[in-house]
Amino acid sequence: MILAFDWSQLAQQTVIGLSSGALWALLALAIVLIYRSTGVVNFAQGEMAMLSTFVAWSLVHHGLSFWEAFFATVALSFCGGVAIERAVIRPVERAPVLTIVIVTLGLVFVVDGISRWAWSSETRSLPNAFSTRPIQVAGVAFSIQDFGNIAVSLGLVLLVGVFFRYTKIGLALRASAANPQESRLLGVRVSWMIALGWGLAAALGAVAGLLTAPALASFDQNLMQPVLLYALAGAVLGGLESPVGAVVGSLLLGVFINLVGTYVDWVGNDLRLPVALVMILGVLLVKPSGLFGRSTVRRV
Amino acid sequence: MKFLYTAAGLVCALALATVASGAGTGTPGVSPTEIVIGGTVPMTGVAQAFKTVGLGASYYFKYVNAHGGVNHRKIKYILKDDQYDPAQTMAKTRELVEQDHVFAIFNSLGTEHNLATRPYLNAVGVPQLFVASGANTFGTDYKQYKWTIGYQPSYRAEGTIYGRYVAKTAPKSRIAVLYQNDDYGKALLTGLTRGLGKRAKQVVAKQSYNADDSSVQSQIAKLKSSKANTLMLFATPAFAIQAYRYSYQLGWRPKVYVNVVSSASNIMGLAQIASTKKEVEGSISIDFVKDPTDRRWAKDPGIKLYRSIMKRYKDKGISANDPYNVYGMSVAHTFVQALKKAGKNPTRDSIMKAATHLTIRNDPFLLPGVVVRTTSSDHFPLDQARLERWHNGHWVSFGGLFRVR
Amino acid sequence: MRRALGIGLWLLMAAAAVGAFLLVPHLISDFHSRDLAEAGVFFIAIVGLNLLTGYTGQISLGHGALMAIGGYTTAALVVHEHWRDVWTIPLAGIAAGIVGFLIGLPALRLSGLYLALATFAFAVAMPSLLKKFSGLTGGSQGLSFLESSPFQVTGLKGTVTVFGHTTTANHFLYYLTWGIGLVGLAIAWLIVRGRFGRAFRAIRDSESAAASAGVNLPLYKTLAFALSGVYAGVAGSLFAIQSEIVNPLSFTVLLSILLVVGAVVGGLGSLPGLVIGALFIKYLPSLAGHVSTRPGVPDFIYGAAIILVVILLPGGAGGLLRRLFAPLTTWLYTRP
Repeated sequence: MILAFDWSQLAQQTVIGLSSGALWALLALAIVLIYRSTGVVNFAQGEMAMLSTFVAWSLVHHGLSFWEAFFATVALSFCGGVAIERAVIRPVERAPVLTIVIVTLGLVFVVDGISRWAWSSETRSLPNAFSTRPIQVAGVAFSIQDFGNIAVSLGLVLLVGVFFRYTKIGLALRASAANPQESRLLGVRVSWMIALGWGLAAALGAVAGLLTAPALASFDQNLMQPVLLYALAGAVLGGLESPVGAVVGSLLLGVFINLVGTYVDWVGNDLRLPVALVMILGVLLVKPSGLFGRSTVRRV
Repeated sequence: MKFLYTAAGLVCALALATVASGAGTGTPGVSPTEIVIGGTVPMTGVAQAFKTVGLGASYYFKYVNAHGGVNHRKIKYILKDDQYDPAQTMAKTRELVEQDHVFAIFNSLGTEHNLATRPYLNAVGVPQLFVASGANTFGTDYKQYKWTIGYQPSYRAEGTIYGRYVAKTAPKSRIAVLYQNDDYGKALLTGLTRGLGKRAKQVVAKQSYNADDSSVQSQIAKLKSSKANTLMLFATPAFAIQAYRYSYQLGWRPKVYVNVVSSASNIMGLAQIASTKKEVEGSISIDFVKDPTDRRWAKDPGIKLYRSIMKRYKDKGISANDPYNVYGMSVAHTFVQALKKAGKNPTRDSIMKAATHLTIRNDPFLLPGVVVRTTSSDHFPLDQARLERWHNGHWVSFGGLFRVR
Repeated sequence: MRRALGIGLWLLMAAAAVGAFLLVPHLISDFHSRDLAEAGVFFIAIVGLNLLTGYTGQISLGHGALMAIGGYTTAALVVHEHWRDVWTIPLAGIAAGIVGFLIGLPALRLSGLYLALATFAFAVAMPSLLKKFSGLTGGSQGLSFLESSPFQVTGLKGTVTVFGHTTTANHFLYYLTWGIGLVGLAIAWLIVRGRFGRAFRAIRDSESAAASAGVNLPLYKTLAFALSGVYAGVAGSLFAIQSEIVNPLSFTVLLSILLVVGAVVGGLGSLPGLVIGALFIKYLPSLAGHVSTRPGVPDFIYGAAIILVVILLPGGAGGLLRRLFAPLTTWLYTRP
C-alpha cells in the first residue's frame, strides 16, 4: 500500500511549495521590516516591488547585466522608499492606524498608476537571476533558481537579524518603533528612523520583485498582486515582528497550500487564496504573535 | 414656486423632446455629419491589457474619418471603462444608450460583461455588434437575441479544432489540459471534448487555475504525473509562458497546443526564453488574424497599413506590437463595411440586417483567404482559422482554412 | 431661547435634507438619478461601516465581501426562487448581518492592524469562494436577473407604479436607495445617540476603561459588526437590484478598499459628512478618467486624491463640517 502512494508527487509538490514560499518570503520580509520599525503594514509593498521590477527591466534594456541592474535597483528602491515616506507617510506619522492604512492603500493606486504610465502593459521578462536548468534527484525536479531564492531569503533574514541586533542604527530603529517618546528623549531622530525603515523595506521589496519576475517567467503590472496576500499570510503565520518568522512562515505556507491543493480535491486549485485566508484567521485567533513572535502583554 | 416647477417641467419636456427626435433623422446616434457608437473595455484594473481591442478599433476609425468617413459621416466611437466588472459594464452601457444616445454598442469586451448587457440591449432594441468575446452563445442564440452578434471564432470552436486534429492524427495520445477557471477556459475545454468525440477518454488529466492566482507550477506537476504526452494550454499569456517553463523544469516535453489568446509571436518568444527552443518547438495553435510580430507579415500590405495607422493615430503608451490592436482594426473594418451596406441613412434595423448579411473578402488584417461571412442562419462572422506550428522561432501555417463551429 | 433656536435650526436642516432627497431627481436628468442611486448604495454601506470603525474603532477592510453576501442573497432569491427583487432586501440585510456577527466573534480577539489584515484576507478570498459554490452563485458567470427572471425585476418596462404614483425606473431606484439610506441614517443616528452609541464610543476611546466601567465588550463589539453587516447587506442587495446582475468580478478587494476610503473621507465618528464620502468614491474614478485617459493617469489621480484628502482632512468631510459650523454651535450652546 505504501508503495502505491505516489511519494515522488508528494516530494515534488513539497519542493514546489518551498519554491513559491521562498518568493512570498521575500515580500513578507519587507512587510515585517516595515511593521517592526514603524508599526504599520504597508499594503502597497507589493506594488512598490513591482515598480522596482520595471525599473530593473529598463536598466537591463539599456545594457546592464542582471546583477548590475539588481544592485542598482535595490539602491534606487531604497531611495524611493525613503522619498515616499517623507512625502506621504510623514504627515500622518502620528495619526491613528486607520489613517496610515488608508494612505498605504492610496499608495497602491499611485504606484500602480506610475508603473502603467511609464511602461506599457505588454508582457515582459527579466533575465534569470539563477540558472533554471532542471536538476533531477530521485524523481523530483528542481533548479538552482529554487535554491537560489531560498538562499537569498535566508541570507537576507540573517542580514536583517544582524542589523537589528548588532548595529547601532538597528537598535535605534527598534527603539523608535517600540517607544517613540522615550527614544526622542534619548536623542534618536525617530522621524528619520521611520524613513530608514521604509527605505530598507523598499529595498527588500525590490529583491522580492527582482527574483519573483524571473521565477514566474514573465511579468507585467499585475506581478505582485496575488503575492501580497500570500506574503501577508506567511508573515502573520511566522509572526509579524519576526524576520525569521516571515521566511519560515512563508515557506511553510507554500508547502501547506500546495499539499492541501494536491490532496484535498475540494480545495484543489480553486481555493488557494481562501486557504491563505483561513491560515491568517487561524493564526491570529490561536496565537496572534505567530510561530516566532513573542506574545506581548498589553499594560493597561 | 409654481413658476419654478413649470419652468423646470418645460425644460424637462424640451430635453425629452430633443432626445426623442434624435436630432432630426429619428435614429439615435445618426446625424448628417456623424455616427456615434459606443463600447466598454477594461481601461484600468487588472484586465487593462485588453483595452487595445477597443483602442485598435478607434485608431482605424480615425483613419477612415481622415479619408472622408462613411457616406460623409465621421464615426465617433465612445469607449468607456468598465474595469472588467460586469456591473460597471451594465452601468456604462446604459450611459452610452440613455445619455450618449449611441446608434449601436460596438466591440464591447468580455464574456460575462456582454452576457450581462445582452438582455437589456435586446429589450431596448439597440444593436450589440461584434461582441469581443469567444463565447459560443453570441452566435447561436440569435433567435432569442436578434440584436446581438459576435465576431471572433468561439473558444469552443477553437477547442473543437484541436480535438478533431488530435483524434485524427494522434488517436493514442494522452492529453493533459491546463485551463483557466472561467467561461473562456471552460469553453475551450468543452470544445476539446466535443472535437475528440468518441475519443474523449484521451483526456487523462485536467487542472484549472484562477486568473487572480500567482503560479501554475503545482498544476503542471500534477499534469505531468498523469503521464500525458500532450498538453493543451487553455490559458492566458502569463500562465501559458509559465506552463512552458515549468514543463521544461520538470523534464516534461509534451506536444503542446496553445490557444490563440496566448499564441502571439512575442509571447511564444518569451516562452522560448523561459524554457528552451526544444520545449516550444512543434507547438500548435490556430490563427485567424495577422500577428504584427510575425515576420511572415513584415512586407504584407495589410500589416503595413496597420503600422502606418498605428504610427499616425495611436495613443502614447500603447505598443504597436500588441496583436489585440490588429483584431480591433479588423472588427472596425467590418463595421465600416456593414455601415456602408446599411444605406445612406442607416437605421438600427438596417445595420443589423447588414451585419447579418456580410461577405467581406478583403479584410487587410485577417489571414489571407479568411472571409467575414454572415447569413440569416450563420451568425458567426469569423469561423475560419488555420492551424499553425511553431518551428524555429516562428509560426508556419499548415493545412487549409478550417471552418469550425 | 437659544436651545429652541438650536432645535429649530436642526429641524430645518433635517427638513432640507428630506426636501433635497425628494426634489433632486426632478432637477437632474433621469439618467443621473440612476448614478446618484449608485452613490446611495455606497452611502448605506458607509453608514454601517462608520458604526463599526468610527464608533467602536474596529477596522474592517472586508465590507465589500459583506456587500457580496447581500447582493448574492438577493440574486439567488430572484434567480433561483423567483422572488420579486425588492422583497429580498431585508433578507439580504439579515444574511449579511449574520455573517458580520460571525466575523465579529473572532474579531473580539483581534485589534487594529490584525483585524485589518484578517478582514483584508476575507475580501481577497471572496471571489474564489463565490466561484466555488457555483450551483448557488452561478460561478464565474454569476447570476443575471434579466436572463433568468426578468419579470422579477422592478422597472423592467421602464416605469414603476407605487401607491398610484408612476415614475421612471431610474427615479424609482433613486428613491428606493436614498429612501432606505435616509431611514438607515436615522436609525444610525438614534443608535449613536442612545445607550449603544455611548457604549460604542467608550469602546473606541479605551477598551479597558470601558470594560472597567461595566460595558459588555463582546456584546457591543459583535453587535457593531452585525449591524454594520446588515447595512452592507442592504447596500449589496440594492447594488444587485440596480445592476440586475451579480458576478464575482464586482466584489473584489477593491470594493472593500473603496468603502473604507469613503468612510474615512466622509468622516469617521460623525454622520453628516458620509453623503460626501459616498459621492467622493462614486464620482472620483470617472472624474480622474476625464482628466486624462493616458494609461496610469486615472489610477494615479485616484490614489493621490485619497492620500491628499486623508492627510489634509483627517476628520474627513464630517470633521470639516463640524469645524465650519463650530462658531454657530458654540454660540447656540454656550451661555453668554
